[in-house]
Amino acid sequence: MLKNLCQKMFGRSLWVYHANSGGCNGCDIEVLNVLTPYYDVERFGIKLVGSPRHADVMLCQGPAMRSTSKALKRAYEAMPSPKLVFAIGSCACGGGIWFDSYSVIGPVEKIIPVNYYIPGCPPRPKAIIYAVAVAVGLVDKKTAPVKFKQMEFPVPQYHPDELKGEGDLVVYEKTEHI
Amino acid sequence: MDLNIILLILGGLANVFIVLLVAPFFQGLLRVITARVIQSRQGPPIWQAYYDTFKLLGKEDIESGEAPVMQRFATYLSLASILTVGCLVPMGFRAPMNGAGDAILLIYLLTLSGICMLLAGLAAGSTYSLVGISREMMTMLTLEPLFAITIVIAALNTQSFRLDTVLNGAVYQSAGFPVSGIIMLGVMLLAFQAFVARVPFDISEAETEIMEGPLMEYSGPKLAIFKYAQMAKLIVFSGLFIGLFVPWGSDLVFPFGWILFWVKVFILVIMVTVLAATHARYRIDQAIRYFAALLAVGVVALILASNGF
Amino acid sequence: MSVMSKLKETLICLGAGKATLPYPFKAEPVPANFRGRPIFDSTKCIGCAGCANNCPAREILVYDPCQEVRVIKYLGRRCTYCGRCADLCPEKAITMSHEFENGTNAVTDISQTLDIFMSTCQRCGRCFKGAELMDDLKMKGYRFDDLQNDRWVFRSQAYLEGDQVVDDIKIEFEG
Repeated sequence: MLKNLCQKMFGRSLWVYHANSGGCNGCDIEVLNVLTPYYDVERFGIKLVGSPRHADVMLCQGPAMRSTSKALKRAYEAMPSPKLVFAIGSCACGGGIWFDSYSVIGPVEKIIPVNYYIPGCPPRPKAIIYAVAVAVGLVDKKTAPVKFKQMEFPVPQYHPDELKGEGDLVVYEKTEHI
Repeated sequence: MDLNIILLILGGLANVFIVLLVAPFFQGLLRVITARVIQSRQGPPIWQAYYDTFKLLGKEDIESGEAPVMQRFATYLSLASILTVGCLVPMGFRAPMNGAGDAILLIYLLTLSGICMLLAGLAAGSTYSLVGISREMMTMLTLEPLFAITIVIAALNTQSFRLDTVLNGAVYQSAGFPVSGIIMLGVMLLAFQAFVARVPFDISEAETEIMEGPLMEYSGPKLAIFKYAQMAKLIVFSGLFIGLFVPWGSDLVFPFGWILFWVKVFILVIMVTVLAATHARYRIDQAIRYFAALLAVGVVALILASNGF
Repeated sequence: MSVMSKLKETLICLGAGKATLPYPFKAEPVPANFRGRPIFDSTKCIGCAGCANNCPAREILVYDPCQEVRVIKYLGRRCTYCGRCADLCPEKAITMSHEFENGTNAVTDISQTLDIFMSTCQRCGRCFKGAELMDDLKMKGYRFDDLQNDRWVFRSQAYLEGDQVVDDIKIEFEG
């Protein structure tokens, strides 16, 4: 019973550790903006802590670089479970525009498993709050994969404009199209 | 005879239970007032400290650090020493176990709760922990004598160390005009923030400059116990302060005396909150200078008290 | 004494009230030319792959399974919402929408795939023409970015012989 209570309380007080592994600090500043009174994420119970051993969520931003990847992995292993990882910004989600540079290994998920992705360069503070609300369960997520097909195979032989219906008969009249 | 002892023990346990129940509420109140009144934002819900504690109890316990056995010992000792002080402090009623100890025991127990933080940092053994505990040691050396001076002045005035006389405004009961009592009231008001370890004086524990100091290596349930001990310190120290300096009205009939006690605690917590939210943290050398000045004034008060004032 | 000035500060802050936006519970409008997630309109796209050639993060991949069909895949992970693709598109098929709430738990949620039917030449019946006549028989299409592994292939024109996937630079990290 106590265990159930503890698990239910997990969503109401997330303690956050911020780990920047080589980014430009744009997303850092947006995360700091989220903690200010205007956007105030503390109403969800979120607090910034200074040590990964106290934290539940690790906010990663910046791509995984060759020099900081070991430190990032150690910070991840220092967090007690249950834990979540949020990858904030395009660099952490996919490597950013530096993905093929000599010192960048790639996105953060090549080093540690990521639970939630927040793309953007930098993501707006509202986007960060929205993703946190999705993680906690307050709102539904707004994205889904999209697949368009311009035409279905097999290709029709007749252009629909050239088919004219007269009663039961459908007549094909070839007009001049370019 | 036995019934008396059982009643005393039950009274002590009731005190402990009240402290455990109410401590996170006052912490939540502190955070809400900081947010809503001073920082113009909507803060966390008022029950947030309860959520935090339950969440921490459900996390995995990673035993890192140099000496895990000492870490466990330090954790349990910190909460235990504060709760024992809670048994001795009158909270609206008479002190439940005042026959079991006297004022000297109180001083030692308070020093013990400070030493727990030192043990915790030493057991963890990382560099940041050691820096944190060296600062905590410096703070303790200059702060604990203030409390001891107050108790000694109270004992000098009433010629007894019994808790129910000392914690009943005995500082004001000197032969002449209670100059030393009023001086100590001022000194303890100025030093109260440091006893409960909040900004601007939380130099050693839980600060972002040295990555949370001695508590850095604690996770999950042990961290919950440490945070609980810090929350309980606020209430227990408020109770001590009220007992020493503002005890008037505690001998009213049952509901009113008890309610008056909690109103006084509320006022003290609001004072702590406003000071904590509007000030920045002191550096260790600024803090030591401040405490040394207070200590000098305290010694002057002690000299005055021993001469009858 | 400094405590007095701090208390005065507190009284001034009281006048500000509560400045917090009730954000996820109430939607807020965005500025007019805000660049959010790009939306690809498949009815207008002609398959020129100009967006793919110019994306600075190489997020748009193009693959030709056969002469007449071209698959354009937009993966959302590295997109910096710069708007170059929308600027370039000759048919204005890409619009930078006002969507910024893109947080998800699976990074494939943001991808958009278009299957474009390319029109063929009325004389030779092909979409693409090779340099020589023999090339016309072998050539399948121009673009073959790796859609299985979501990788951009660093060659723009080649023939399909065997395994055309180019490996990334291998970077090992110690530990």
